[in-house]
Amino acid sequence: MMRFDLDMPAWKWPFYVTRHPFEGFEDVRWKKAYNSKVALVIVLCLFIVTVAGRLLTGFIHQTNFEKVFNVVPLFSSSVIIFFIWVVGNWSLCTLFNGEGKMQQIMCVTAYSLVPYIIGQIVYIFASNILTRQESSILTLISYLGIVWSAVLVISAIKTVHQYSMPKTILAIIFTLVAMVIIVLVLILLISLFQQVVMFVYSVYTELMYRFSM
Amino acid sequence: MPLFKKIGSAVLSAAIAVSALASSASADEAYYGYNYNWWNDPIPSQNGYVVDRVVTGTDMGVGALSEPNDIFVDDETEKIYIVDSNNNRIIITDEAMESATVLDTFTYGDEFPESKSIVKSTTLNTPKGIFVMQYKGETLIYIADSMNSRVLACYEDGTIFFEYTRPSNDLYDEEISFRPDKVVVDNALNVYVVIPSITNGMVQFSSDGTFNGYYGANRVETTAEILQNAFYSLFMNREQMQKRARAVAIEIANVDIDEQGFIYTVTSSKNTDTDVLKKLNPAGENIYLNMGLDDYMFGDVSVYYNGTTYASAIDDVEVDADGNVFLLDFTEKRIFQYSDELDLEFIFGGEGTQKGLFTSPTALETLNKKVYVTDGRTNSITIFKLTEFGEMVQEAIELFNRGLYQEAKEPFEEILLRDANYWFAYIGLGNAYYTMGDNETAMKYFYQNSRGGYNRAFKEYRLDAIRSYFSYFIIIVLVLIVFLIVLSKVRKHRKKKKAEKSAAGGDGK
Repeated sequence: MMRFDLDMPAWKWPFYVTRHPFEGFEDVRWKKAYNSKVALVIVLCLFIVTVAGRLLTGFIHQTNFEKVFNVVPLFSSSVIIFFIWVVGNWSLCTLFNGEGKMQQIMCVTAYSLVPYIIGQIVYIFASNILTRQESSILTLISYLGIVWSAVLVISAIKTVHQYSMPKTILAIIFTLVAMVIIVLVLILLISLFQQVVMFVYSVYTELMYRFSM
Repeated sequence: MPLFKKIGSAVLSAAIAVSALASSASADEAYYGYNYNWWNDPIPSQNGYVVDRVVTGTDMGVGALSEPNDIFVDDETEKIYIVDSNNNRIIITDEAMESATVLDTFTYGDEFPESKSIVKSTTLNTPKGIFVMQYKGETLIYIADSMNSRVLACYEDGTIFFEYTRPSNDLYDEEISFRPDKVVVDNALNVYVVIPSITNGMVQFSSDGTFNGYYGANRVETTAEILQNAFYSLFMNREQMQKRARAVAIEIANVDIDEQGFIYTVTSSKNTDTDVLKKLNPAGENIYLNMGLDDYMFGDVSVYYNGTTYASAIDDVEVDADGNVFLLDFTEKRIFQYSDELDLEFIFGGEGTQKGLFTSPTALETLNKKVYVTDGRTNSITIFKLTEFGEMVQEAIELFNRGLYQEAKEPFEEILLRDANYWFAYIGLGNAYYTMGDNETAMKYFYQNSRGGYNRAFKEYRLDAIRSYFSYFIIIVLVLIVFLIVLSKVRKHRKKKKAEKSAAGGDGK
């Protein structure tokens, strides 16, 4: 007997996965319910929630003081980190017999972020209602979201690559290392390109001085 | 022509007005007033203190001073005592500071043994500190006579009644010198001597000269080095450990005693912020710790005004009759005034040679709301007086600290009119509205200024809101519950029908 009716619209899949952390991703795999549009919307929500957490958290529970609000670090700490994770995981797991494609990794990771986003939304609302004495409730909410999402991410990576549990954990640890390496290389590249641009520019100005004489 | 004249006169009057403005600007102090807000950001502020005058030794008619190291004000007689270290003398003057008497030779009283009575008189050798008190109608003067290794106790005419010398006790390490730097005496005539080479605290004598031990030692700051030492001590033997550098507490740099007999100590280390200012109870424990002010930073706390995170070297402390605490920072040559709850009120002074700036400030004292600061390089005494703004702030904070929040409301409002950046005024107004029961306004003032205050006001505000909207809230909840029950019933009914239909269809197939 079939337990669930799996013929549902694409936007319902993330919530279905959230409710079924263990078989959920198997069903996604079976139904090939990898939807990039839904995944990107979730990533957008992640970004919005990060910004909202900085701007809308109640004053009592707000720990960082924004003299000048800058969205760039928030963008890089949510969206860019997400894509670095996807790229890092893909480039690592293709070498270690992982079955997931990059699009599939992106989708399942995004799906598993839903509890974190919901937790953050609840956190932001509650932080405007609760006093300092009740802050333990807030901590509970945010930890619940994070832990649930972490469990989902592990389950997602395990399923999408068809790994065993120990291999999944190892893969995740090495993905984190790979992310650090990617960030390093990116920074190196950016500074190199900066120097190249500066060099070309100085050659150009030098030439301009020569010819204008 | 008349038109030209008119224009000309207008221009002239404008020029005069501008020059008047400029001259009033040049009459400003040589330092910029600023204050720290709750986020420890330096915010420009109005000056609370301006220079009243600068007095030199010649102004007092006693010849030039040479490295004055300490100044003391006897609050009861309002006499000012200046320690003129390199001239080996004490200068006694009054508030006007126009004339002074000099105390440089001291005679031994009758109670001293023969050997000293023969010498009869003695002089000082680089005195560093002084303490004066009224006791049973007598003026007792205690002088930290540094290079003579003693603390002289004498009357105002120079008759010595006691000499506190190096303790011949096992507790006092033989290798440590006895060079008294500063001295205070409590109401029971116990003498506390600050000695720069001792890290155990101050040396405490009872009035008869017996050594009572050390008082008010500082804590050792937990640094990486100490953790490393603790780790090594797990497997190193004693000899190996002795070769490692030992971590010791920072020595006490200066001391003051307030009217209730609490002793305040400061340390003047640039790289530690542990126990910079302590208020000691008779057991030698820091009261500020119980007030929850453990991690309080004194002096310049921010990078904007001094370049490093913490570099203040607090050299002197003074507690005035109202409980205000003044700290003298040797690094930036600034004076910091705190209220008795350690709320920063004013910062003034600075480094330089202009009026109101110092090159080597050594000590500070207060008398009748005026601040006296000695400078060991320019050999002068700078006297600061409160500005109108400063008086206002002092009045408001005094009311505030006595718990009269509503009475403090008006002065705080006036302060905000003059300086909208004065952070503490927002706290004061928030508390005023909070005690008046106007939680919403209180929240407005506490917002971005005090998390604790906002929390309190918000709690009351929320309670009020729940109380006034409770019936609506309950109605909404009840309606929701009923709606959900109905919804689930309807769903079940539909499902049942569907199942029946599909079952019927299946039969049909």
